[in-house]
Amino acid sequence: MSEAKLPHTESHATAGAGLDLGWMSRQGEWGTRAVAGKQGLTLADIQIGSYGEPDEKSDNQTGRPRGAVARANSYRIGGYTVMSKSEIWLDNASFLYEEALQRQWSSATDVPWHTIKPLPDDIEEAQCQLATFFTEVEFVAGDVPARWIASTTPDFFEPRQCLLAQVMDESRHMDVFRKRALANGGGLMQTSGGTAGVVGSIDLARDFTEMSSRLHISGEGAVLTMFRMGELMAYNEAEKAMYRLCAQDEARHVAFGVMHMRYMSETAPQRREEIQCYLDEAERQILAGSQNPAGTQTDSSEALAILLGGGKAKYDEGVRKLIAIRRRQVQEYIKRVRSTGFGDRFDNGRSSLVDTFDHHVAA
Amino acid sequence: MARFPSTEWFDDVRKVFNTDESYQGGGGGACNALMGVKIGAHSFLITFEGAECSAAAQVQESDLEAADFILEMAYSDWRDMVENIAQNGRADLHHTLNTLDLGRPEGLSHSAHGDQYREDLFFRYNQTMQYFFDASARVKTQFAE
Amino acid sequence: MTDKNDSKPGPDSVARIDANADMAQPAQPNLKWMGKSHQWGTRVKPGKHGLRLGDLNVGIYGEVPPVWTDQTRAPRGAVARRGVPPLGYAIRDKVDLWADSAADMYEEAIQRRWAPATSVPWDTIAPLPDDVERAICQVCTELSQYANADVESVTHWQAQMAYGYHEIKQFLATVSFDGARHMEVFRKRALCNGGGLGLEGPGEVNRMILESRGGWTEAVLYLFVVRGLFTQTMYRYLERYAHNDAERTIFAHCLEDKARHLTYAIDHLRYAINHQDDQNLILQQLCMIGERVLVRELKDGVLREALAIVFGNGISGAQAGLQIHGRMMADYIKRYLATLKWLGVERRTLFPEELSAYLKVS
Repeated sequence: MSEAKLPHTESHATAGAGLDLGWMSRQGEWGTRAVAGKQGLTLADIQIGSYGEPDEKSDNQTGRPRGAVARANSYRIGGYTVMSKSEIWLDNASFLYEEALQRQWSSATDVPWHTIKPLPDDIEEAQCQLATFFTEVEFVAGDVPARWIASTTPDFFEPRQCLLAQVMDESRHMDVFRKRALANGGGLMQTSGGTAGVVGSIDLARDFTEMSSRLHISGEGAVLTMFRMGELMAYNEAEKAMYRLCAQDEARHVAFGVMHMRYMSETAPQRREEIQCYLDEAERQILAGSQNPAGTQTDSSEALAILLGGGKAKYDEGVRKLIAIRRRQVQEYIKRVRSTGFGDRFDNGRSSLVDTFDHHVAA
Repeated sequence: MARFPSTEWFDDVRKVFNTDESYQGGGGGACNALMGVKIGAHSFLITFEGAECSAAAQVQESDLEAADFILEMAYSDWRDMVENIAQNGRADLHHTLNTLDLGRPEGLSHSAHGDQYREDLFFRYNQTMQYFFDASARVKTQFAE
Repeated sequence: MTDKNDSKPGPDSVARIDANADMAQPAQPNLKWMGKSHQWGTRVKPGKHGLRLGDLNVGIYGEVPPVWTDQTRAPRGAVARRGVPPLGYAIRDKVDLWADSAADMYEEAIQRRWAPATSVPWDTIAPLPDDVERAICQVCTELSQYANADVESVTHWQAQMAYGYHEIKQFLATVSFDGARHMEVFRKRALCNGGGLGLEGPGEVNRMILESRGGWTEAVLYLFVVRGLFTQTMYRYLERYAHNDAERTIFAHCLEDKARHLTYAIDHLRYAINHQDDQNLILQQLCMIGERVLVRELKDGVLREALAIVFGNGISGAQAGLQIHGRMMADYIKRYLATLKWLGVERRTLFPEELSAYLKVS
């Protein structure tokens, strides 16, 4: 990092007061004047000069801000495992982070809880079962990014900021679904257990791209569709608001995953086959498995069918609508993966997703 | 009184939307998207930049290719939605944008480019889009048909 | 439970979903999940401030056990499923993380959120004398680095906490988000007025915070009390001696955020002391170690000089600035000692002379 030299002036020579002031001659690129735009002073606005894009490799083991001048005797705090830009970068991280900051909401006051009125028992049970499931699912998306933040050098702070926003979003989702379960004469019901321990699950990822492909592209993409369905089948303004606001956040997380994958597709051709393997596994485990309530019949998919049908007595009708949801989910997932640059898997027969989906439809 | 659909109508909605600060909270906020709206044979491009809906313009159908996402319904369905909003102060449970999108076999939101990342802006900014159309409750509307 | 049949989802809109007429008959549901709840009939109503997290702690949902043995992501109060593989959450004892105020602090953090891009009046920053700009940029560089250590420490521990104590995890999500804002806002200040980033800090306290091998309680002490109070005191003085509304706003917001963190910290430490034998003695030992690390770091004159220039409005005013810095340090130490005294952590013995000296001067 080049250091700006302070021109020698009389005032410095006669500083007195026992001041050293040597640090004034050891500062980063000087004269930087980022200008606020229409949307305020954003992270993108300060990505200028040598403070802009990071180098491909980071050697920052002291946690200093990117562009700050290193000290030879500064204590190493690092042990960061993500030290290469290609492991975590995405081109619009700054933009997504600023969007997250601007679009925060409060589950306590932005959801019109007073609009919830008593519902038929089967409907309330189904809503509570779904709320229990979502509380559990959002826990995954709160914990996992947190671990990766602590492991990533601050030289790549833009993606880290996005992940920090995600942890906040997921915390809010955990909170809002717990509130829904306890707001209308119901309660929490049984957990799915589907978020733990399976080889290839999100928790067990040892690489950021591996984790992101499963969490952001597959997992959150599926949950996004569920939230949109929640808004569709809502029985009151509170549920409408709750699901709509959660869906917005989720869409932003999905966008992170898509843009990171796109960056990998463009800059890391040597990892292409590896990433296709992550998608293979994610598609098998998440989209068709028990973690997806609109997948094989689970407690949550039965709850969804009851809600979509309008009651237990209309279960079959609800299942048909649920299948339509799965179709939509799969279509959107396919289009997202195409958007990342890995869409060849659907054209060359590699993805068994469509076959899996058709198999369950026929069952 | 602006006629629906027309640029003037969308400009009237923009004025309400841009001057109501409550639309920037509660899950609203900075929004950057180009929304296409197809109402029967009429096409419009609505520009969102940050906290502002900065422009609305009637365009040729082919111009909708530039839109991040396009909301398309028959005129009668749009009229039904706008009337519902006017009657209730905002869209009721059956007339929100997301409900219309999922509840109709043909959906509501699509794009000309097929890039799901850009189409997903409809989900990322859904509350803002909802606020925008809900703002039409405070616009005096004359229907073309 | 009621049995109203007139409540239904948007029937017209849902009915039009593609229902695939040629599909085979759906399998019969088993519905075994229905009726499975430890406590049904819960109806929490929103209060004056909406429906808050703490309001949900009714009946079994509010029973926070001293040890959370569930090693899955089962929400507190949900019916656990048998045979789910454990996830290995390391922090499972309430005494290691609890604070009664966490739920309220979580909601407060959300209500008092701010966005550096738009909440700060950046247009009020005008060019400053070169020495002052260099000083403020140096301070901002170090504060941004402190915030990085905050973020890394909190996210590291948060991921290890069991879900029986979700209030703490949720509050810590707001703390790490605050850290993100602070990292960002100080970077923005350094880069918006003709300056740039300065020299990184010595980092020994950062390392101490991040090491905290004794667990989260140790991290809380170092992060929020030893260093957190120091940072908070600095924010107070920087707000007081700000050169423009932008800086005033920045430090005022950061101050509020830090106050919340400190509330949690004191609450947690008090809980830990009251529920674990000798915890006050352990904390006393940790304080002795931490104070020495802080003293070593404070021997590095860079931050002191930069602050003196900021407070004195230039090198020419640095003498006066150093006196203000001395008052700032005295305020910090008084507050630090008072906090520990209130907690029952005695610091009369072996308190570093270098820190006492500030009290004598003041």
